Amino acid sequence: MEGNSLRNWKIHLFVLILVCVTEFIGVKTFNIGIGAIALFPMLYALIIGAIISLPSLKILKMKEMNVAANILGISFMLFVAKLGMLMGPSLPKIFDAGISLGLQEVGHFAGTILLGLPIALLLGMKREAVGATFSIDREPNLAIIAEKYGSDSPEGRGALGVYVCGTLFGALYLSVLASFLAQTGWFHPISLAMGAGVGSGSMMAAMSGALAVIFPESAKDIAVFAGAANLITTILGTYICVFFSLPLTNYLYKKFEPILGRKSKKDQMKNIGA
Amino acid sequence: MKDKILTFIIIGIIAIMGNWVGYDVSPIDALPGMMIIVAVTILGFFFAKISPIKLPIVVWVSMLALLVTTPIFPGNASIIKVTEQVNFMALATPILAYAGLSFGKDLKEFKKLGWRIVVISLVVYTGTFLLSTLVAEIGFRLSGKFH
Repeated sequence: MEGNSLRNWKIHLFVLILVCVTEFIGVKTFNIGIGAIALFPMLYALIIGAIISLPSLKILKMKEMNVAANILGISFMLFVAKLGMLMGPSLPKIFDAGISLGLQEVGHFAGTILLGLPIALLLGMKREAVGATFSIDREPNLAIIAEKYGSDSPEGRGALGVYVCGTLFGALYLSVLASFLAQTGWFHPISLAMGAGVGSGSMMAAMSGALAVIFPESAKDIAVFAGAANLITTILGTYICVFFSLPLTNYLYKKFEPILGRKSKKDQMKNIGA
Repeated sequence: MKDKILTFIIIGIIAIMGNWVGYDVSPIDALPGMMIIVAVTILGFFFAKISPIKLPIVVWVSMLALLVTTPIFPGNASIIKVTEQVNFMALATPILAYAGLSFGKDLKEFKKLGWRIVVISLVVYTGTFLLSTLVAEIGFRLSGKFH
C-alpha cells in the first residue's frame, strides 16, 4: 500500500457516482419461482464497477485497479468501526449467544476442508487440493502456504486459484447464497449473520447486506453478529490455519486421496496446471 | 499515514452522500457520527502502529469502536446516538464499489485457471458459510436461545 497511490481522484469519483446512483435505485426484489432474489445497492455497485473495470473497455488502467483494491481494504476499516459501535451496546446479547458464537467458528475453519477436500479429490485434483481447501485463501492464508511450500508449488497454485476466484466472484456468489439460504426458513437470521463472518471484508459486507435486506427488522442484530463472528475469525485465523487447518487438511489428504483420488496416468497429466 | 487519513475522509464523505440518497439522513445530521467513526478508525491505525503486540488493524479498530460504545466509557450514550445516524449499509456500498472497480485486474490470472479450481472455490466458500451457519443454528436450538 504505497501512500501516494491512494490519491486517485478518478477512482474516488467513480465510487461517489456509483454509490449515489445505486443508493437511488435502492432495493428491488424479483420473484423467480423458487424464491425471491433480492438486489440491493451494494450488488449493483459491485457489478457496474466490475463492468467499468473490464480491460476491453479501457476506462481504467491496471494501476488504477490496483489502487481501487488498496482502497477497498481501507474502506473496510470504516465499516468495521461502525460495526464495532453497534457491538458495544449489544455486548450482553453477544455474550448470551457466546456458546453458538464460539462453536460456529469451528464451522468457519472446518467447513472449507470438510466440503472442499472430498470434492476436490473426486474431481481428480492432487496436492493443489490442499492449498485450495485448507482455508478461504485470502492474503494471510496465501502467505502461510507460500512460506511452507513456496508460491510455485502445487499447493501454492491451488491456494492462488481460490484466491483469484474469491476476489472476482466471492462477494457476489456468497450474497446470492446468503439470500437463498435466508429464504429457506431453516435458519435464524443471527445464525446466518454469524455464518457471514467468513473473514473477508468485501464478502462479509455483501453477505450481511443481503441478509439485512431479507430480514429488515433484524438488520442491527445481523450487523452485530456478522461483525462479531468476522472479528473472531480474523483474530484466530492465522493461528488456526497454521496449527489446525493445514495439518488437518494434510492428514485427510493422505487418508482419502487413495480412496477418492483418480489414479490413471491420463487424469494426472490433465491435472498439471489445474 | 497522511494519505490514509485523507482516504478515510473521502470515503466518509462518499458514505454520507449514500446515506443521504439511500436512507434519507441529511449530511448535517450524519456528519458528527461519521467524524467519530473516522476518528476511531484513525486511532485504531495509530494503535496498531505503536503497539508492541502485533494484531491486525481490523482488530484494533473493532476493539476501540466497541470500547467507546460500552457503558464503561464516558459519553458512550451520545456516541451511540450520533453514530446511529450513519446506516451500516451506507458504509458497505463504497467497499463493494471499490471491489468492483478492481475486478479487471485479476481477469488475466483467472483465464489461466482450470474449471476444477473454479468449482472448488465455490465449494470452499459454500462450506465455510454453510457449516458455520449450521453449527450456530444447532447451538441456538439446543440452548433454546433466539427461538
